Amino acid sequence: MSQTLFEKIWDSHVVVERDGGPSILYIDRHLVHEVTSPQAFEGLRLNKRKVRRPDLTIATMDHNVPTSDRSLPIIDQISELQIKTLEKNCKDFGIQLFDIKSPYQGIVHVIGPQLGITLPGTTIVCGDSHTSTHGAFGALAFGIGTSEVEHVLATQTIRMEKPKPFEINVVGKRKNQHAITAKDIILSIIRHIGTNGGTGTVIEYRGEAISDLTMEQRMTICNMSIEAGARAGLVAPDQKTFDYLKGRKFTPKNYDKLVSQWQETLYTDSNALFAKSFTIDVSNIAPQVSWGTNPAMVCDVTESVPFPEEYAKGNEDQRKAAEKALQYMNLKAGTQMTDIEINRVFIGSCTNSRIEDLIEASKVVKGNKVSSKVRAMVVPGSQMVKKQAEEMGLDKIFKNANFEWRESGCSMCLGMNPDILAPGERCASTSNRNFEGRQGTGGRTHLVSPVMAAAAAIKGHFVDVREMDLN
Amino acid sequence: MKGNAIKYDQDNIDTDVILPGTYLKLHDYAELAKHAMEGLDPDFHSKVKDGDFIVAGKNFGCGSSREHAPIALSSSGIKAVLALSFARIFYRNAVDGAFLLPIEIGEDAYKNISNGDQLELSIEKNTIKNLTKNKEYKMKPFSELIGKIIASGGLFKYKP
Repeated sequence: MSQTLFEKIWDSHVVVERDGGPSILYIDRHLVHEVTSPQAFEGLRLNKRKVRRPDLTIATMDHNVPTSDRSLPIIDQISELQIKTLEKNCKDFGIQLFDIKSPYQGIVHVIGPQLGITLPGTTIVCGDSHTSTHGAFGALAFGIGTSEVEHVLATQTIRMEKPKPFEINVVGKRKNQHAITAKDIILSIIRHIGTNGGTGTVIEYRGEAISDLTMEQRMTICNMSIEAGARAGLVAPDQKTFDYLKGRKFTPKNYDKLVSQWQETLYTDSNALFAKSFTIDVSNIAPQVSWGTNPAMVCDVTESVPFPEEYAKGNEDQRKAAEKALQYMNLKAGTQMTDIEINRVFIGSCTNSRIEDLIEASKVVKGNKVSSKVRAMVVPGSQMVKKQAEEMGLDKIFKNANFEWRESGCSMCLGMNPDILAPGERCASTSNRNFEGRQGTGGRTHLVSPVMAAAAAIKGHFVDVREMDLN
Repeated sequence: MKGNAIKYDQDNIDTDVILPGTYLKLHDYAELAKHAMEGLDPDFHSKVKDGDFIVAGKNFGCGSSREHAPIALSSSGIKAVLALSFARIFYRNAVDGAFLLPIEIGEDAYKNISNGDQLELSIEKNTIKNLTKNKEYKMKPFSELIGKIIASGGLFKYKP
């Protein structure tokens, strides 16, 4: 029977399944961080349970860690306690931890692929919604809550109902490969299908424009699948995937043999049926900027802030939502996007903090200075990314331009550590969510690509990065 | 199950407004309750009563996987959220820990229920009675798995 890639991975991991009923699914890799795990470990202790497969469980601390000088003590005592708790839990239950001093510490979705923990055809879970990132490698990867974290720790399985396969065909060739990025592609997709366009599905991103992308760019796409409501997003593995994972710290020893197995199995059969389909042509898309308070409220940088009636196309709920968003964002409909002034820039997060993101942003920054009205920061996704960037001299480019060059972590993406927006501040951010208060109470977030964020930092307002020399 | 509706006439109520990120360091349920819905409705904590229901539009609970979100609502006294649709992680979190019932309703119920209306839920009959307006609406039945987890009192009590 013809099957989609998702269905093949699903079927190969089913422990128990009844017709039309829920399944028990085996989990190959469980990634753990400090925020969604404490109560799960506490549950294990209360019930005198062990971690079933500590060898398949890997932990790091990312959400809550300071991104300033790590030789100094952590000022926030509650944060410190959460970090210490993860250290204790990993020690007690025999789990490998990349702690705050480790050269492998970083955002869990950045280090998984970098360390070769993420592999094609596997099932991966983590108590974090952006686990969908790992789907870029042809893995079935999704976020879970703390109760499910406990369930996976105890049983290495999960109970769930099978989602439906959803294909998104991404066709055409981007005109300017530096200015039009993977971030612009995924923002365009969410803008069209909406924040619940993928609910109940696993998206497979397909087509020439996806094949064209590097592994890191595919991660940016899969990362934001959750913003379209999907359970997961994935891309069939190809030679780029296999090359990326070769020789990494945890890449299996029998790698070549695994690659031939993956090549034989990990693709969607030519006549497989998807429950849903959407096609987007990227040959003419512009750099995208969000203007509202969810990741579907996005427009081209060449456009102006939409009028609520125009955005809503006759839907009263949408009109009200747009009006409320404009009020929160303190934006007037009709304002050119390029006239919107910003005072903060954040280059970082599991969406856009990898080495290629920093290389691309540095091309915009080189030889320029951050606008005097702007405070800008770069937060590399992991210590490995940071080291690589420093070896390439990228840190100097950013620092010479007056960017802050910080330690790795989730940082201002979610406003848990001291990196937050003050009320009313407006930020060009490479992160994934522009929800009200996400980056700090009263803070206003505009989602953009790393090159667009860098350009906004220099100019003090949004600019069409296609007008800048990026070569 | 009877309670009063607290209605938010909007879609996409995300977990960042249900419980802002800065409170994810907290683990004490009573402390989390104090900050429930803070990002959307700073008066929520003072007005919510034990047994109340939240009524909202599409895609309730979108965003972060934080189980702190249903915990904060449940610790505030919320027994169920009635919404046009839910984001999946929030939906599972709500039932896995037996925190609250995530109930999918139709447009008729969503449009008709007003803030403060007294509602009576019957899971057995899949109905919602609006005692204030003397109306009755259907709720979408739970799937097999979700129904069993709810009936067992949470994921860890569910023995298939």
